[in-house]
Amino acid sequence: MNCLSKYWAIAVTSAKSNLAYAGEIGSRLCFLGIILFIFMQLWKAIFANANVAQFQGYTLEEIIWYLAITECIMLSSPRVTPLIDEDVRTGAITVQLVRPMSYPLYRLASNLGEQAVRFAVTVASAGSIALLLVGPPSNFGLGLACVLLALPLALVLDFLGYLLVGLFAFWCEDTSGLALIYSRLTMVAGGMLMPLDLFPEAFQSLLKGLPFGYIVSGPARQFVHPDPTGLGALLGFQILWIVVLALVVAFVYSKALKRIALNGG
Amino acid sequence: MVINMNNAVEVENLRKVYEMHKRNGFFRRTKAEVVSVDNVNFSVPEGQALAFVGPNGAGKSTTIRMLTGILTPSAGYARVLGYVPWKERSHMAYHIGAVFGQRSQLWYHLPASDTFDLLAKIYNLDKVEYRKRRDELVDRFRLGPLLDVPVRKLSLGQRMRAEVAASLLHKPRLLLLDEPTIGLDIHAKQQLRELVSEWNRKEGLTVFLTSHDTGDIENVAERVIIINHGRLVLDDSVENLRRQYEGLSLEEALSHIYGLEVESEETEDVPELQAVG
Amino acid sequence: MWNKFTNYLELAASYFRFNTKAQLEYRTAFISQALAMFVNDCLWLAYFVMLFERFPVVKGWEAVDVATLWAVTAAGFGIAHCLFGNALALPRIIARGELDAWLLYPRALLPHIVLGRMNASAFGDCLFGFVIYVVMVHPDWQHLLLFTLLTLSVALLFLGFSVLSGSLSFYLGNADTLCENWRHGLIAFSTYPIELFDGKCKWLLYTVLPAAYISGFPIDALRKLSLIDALYSFLGALSVVSLAIVVFNHGLKRYESGNMVGMRG
Repeated sequence: MNCLSKYWAIAVTSAKSNLAYAGEIGSRLCFLGIILFIFMQLWKAIFANANVAQFQGYTLEEIIWYLAITECIMLSSPRVTPLIDEDVRTGAITVQLVRPMSYPLYRLASNLGEQAVRFAVTVASAGSIALLLVGPPSNFGLGLACVLLALPLALVLDFLGYLLVGLFAFWCEDTSGLALIYSRLTMVAGGMLMPLDLFPEAFQSLLKGLPFGYIVSGPARQFVHPDPTGLGALLGFQILWIVVLALVVAFVYSKALKRIALNGG
Repeated sequence: MVINMNNAVEVENLRKVYEMHKRNGFFRRTKAEVVSVDNVNFSVPEGQALAFVGPNGAGKSTTIRMLTGILTPSAGYARVLGYVPWKERSHMAYHIGAVFGQRSQLWYHLPASDTFDLLAKIYNLDKVEYRKRRDELVDRFRLGPLLDVPVRKLSLGQRMRAEVAASLLHKPRLLLLDEPTIGLDIHAKQQLRELVSEWNRKEGLTVFLTSHDTGDIENVAERVIIINHGRLVLDDSVENLRRQYEGLSLEEALSHIYGLEVESEETEDVPELQAVG
Repeated sequence: MWNKFTNYLELAASYFRFNTKAQLEYRTAFISQALAMFVNDCLWLAYFVMLFERFPVVKGWEAVDVATLWAVTAAGFGIAHCLFGNALALPRIIARGELDAWLLYPRALLPHIVLGRMNASAFGDCLFGFVIYVVMVHPDWQHLLLFTLLTLSVALLFLGFSVLSGSLSFYLGNADTLCENWRHGLIAFSTYPIELFDGKCKWLLYTVLPAAYISGFPIDALRKLSLIDALYSFLGALSVVSLAIVVFNHGLKRYESGNMVGMRG
């Protein structure tokens, strides 16, 4: 109980601290408008050239709303790897370790607090842009409820991936390259630009065996095609992957601590 | 081995050897061992203010990292407030405070009061006691008007005062200060030294200070330990040191001591670098 | 005139030697960053090839055309920012008053600044561009020669655009965010076929966001082996560079006369 309130307090403090940036986060989002506009043109062309009203049950409007949600998930993801890099390189990790708390949980709490603020700002812009481009989404109420249920675990899962990449800072000088590849995998294999259902079948089964789809495509799909059974399965896979990644993180982190204990990092 | 319960820090035959990789050629690397701390012995009674000094690379920060439990020694023994640091780090953490001059624990965009509240949670402080303690610290460190200003808007001197106050919130018995006055102007330095010194005398707080600034040592510490090339070269009261080097400033005395050490090293085998692979 | 030109080429060559030496000091970091960018580009390309093969995005476009588009854009961007690494850092250099250090040099300021650093990940882009073009398009020697020339044209355009957008900081204080949005906008548009956009939007792509000289004319030039399209590409690039030089020097005068508010603190 005490322990939980500790990390809750960290998350709240982090959110508060990021409210100071809210304007800046917002101002970076002109780009989001450009991206959504380009996607709109792209899919308009695809629909027109194929001369159909929908692909696998997705209409143009639904695809744009889907993209708006995936963009929010990806763009609001805080960059945790440079922070870990810096903590290790400058030795600031020392300051963190002499406090009575777990460093990975501290990063998780602080990350979620930050992402809450960033997500709120991003969703406001992305929502208004999508509204402007294609009008209100169908199934808004149920979709909103489903996506809100699917998001928290998706964000935790996303964080665990970045944390794992960041922990390599204990072994190599610079994890920015790995972080770039990881984030690109999340975008491409997670279905940021297109629902996983639209990928060629051969890819689909592969991608469903990877965690990325449960971070990006899964929740966004719930917004445009809400589906309580599917949501249950999604939550199940999210929990499964969280457990797997948490175990890997715990293992790597204990190795990292041993490494500093022996060699000072 | 006699454990004196009145000692805040006890160190016996502490030793740390690093394995280093040296690069030669494009991708080839060879291993080498570097002795960073070499059989160090000392103890610090509770309530003492100790300056732990030495030139860069002397083994200071390695020692501190072992005392905070982040680094495991290669050999030897240490106890901090009765805990073996590298085995009981999380228990020990509730009883030590740390201020590192170069890295802030205050949240940059928030007022210091927010960080204080957060620290109260992190250290599981009782609400009523925390408020009492905070008010006392705010009063003594003259933080009243600064408490609700975002930390980024404070001057460095004000910020460091808030840093030290933050590290005292949970009533630590031992305070580690690493270069606490770096970058401060003379006035702010003096202010900070007085506050630490006052807390040390009145509250019986044990202070473990590392600094290159001899002013910090003279104004805060009663005892000095000098480490060079991983070994203790001097352990004496500040007063004795001053007496011994009468007519010289502490700065000159220290460089004299560091210099002596280098000369005597040259006649021995240099044990620091041994290629092993 | 010719003397001056060779003089600057010599300057560029010596900067290149110097930067390469500096990068080799940190070769692991350099290699890993370049490699990460290479992998990143490959992931994007794989995604787009899949998209274009699965859906009728643009009539007549095949995998080879998508590869050409990505190869030209990436190689051009890579050459520009690998050799002229500081071009991207310009807004910060200006806003923080760091120009002062360069003002002490006896020669023209701009070449010195932009040549001052090498960017490892841009090297990965450049490598990707050439490798992909050779591997996926199998060009004959005329195409390869034209491709090489066109990447230089695109590089020139990216360089000019970076200087132009960075020079905003002379007028607006720290224009980092605005500048970033503008640049990302250009990059986003230049990785899609220009045929996707019509009307007013297309007009923008020839002017404010000059993506037409990256993903428009150069691609047509390569697809049809048409020199006139290549010429248009160069003309576009030259105009952007000229405009950039004029704006930079005008801004610099403001800087030197100390009329900028809230800077150089």
